Amino acid sequence: MPLYELGLIIDPEAGPEDEEAVFGRIEGILTEAGGTVVDKDAWGRRQLAYSINKKSHGIYHFWKIEVGGEVMKNLNFELRTNDMVMRSLILNLDTELRRHRKGERLQAAKAAKKAAKAERRAESAQAES
Amino acid sequence: MRHQKRRFRRRAKVCRFTVEKINYIDYKDIDLLREYTPTNGKILPRRVTGTNPAFQHKLSRAIKRARHMALMPYVGD
Repeated sequence: MPLYELGLIIDPEAGPEDEEAVFGRIEGILTEAGGTVVDKDAWGRRQLAYSINKKSHGIYHFWKIEVGGEVMKNLNFELRTNDMVMRSLILNLDTELRRHRKGERLQAAKAAKKAAKAERRAESAQAES
Repeated sequence: MRHQKRRFRRRAKVCRFTVEKINYIDYKDIDLLREYTPTNGKILPRRVTGTNPAFQHKLSRAIKRARHMALMPYVGD
């Protein structure tokens, strides 16, 4: 199952119990499809860069979720229709980070090669002396 | 009139992402993105910042995502 990142902006006028209700519904959709929430990152109340629905603040939450792609239809529907959710963004981190991981692999391979070369050089220098 | 000698030498522009080996540009990293947008909110072009094409593409995508999430303005002051 791919790893997704879910970003949410929740209405600042929502009480803690409303917030919990939104999370409960989202988690319900996820667990129903056999998904899991890997990481929860709460930024809390933040000023928005521009006002949305005449509101200048929002409560930010970023989750990492592991779930099959077929839930996205339900999840998006829930996020769109829920009045407490002001904005949301879902990214597939597997495709986002593919290049990143490849780059890291290449860098690691390069470093290993360099180390091996240095070692060989040291050995040959030793053999000469 | 003879050709005057240039007084200033322009510093070579470097792509920060290539130099620092930042492979993934996260839209939540607002401090980084802010360096590539002046206060009017526009994305600075490659010819100004020296970012290489692949990273400019990723950068502009990250900025647009940040705008959607109201982390950055669409229009500044």
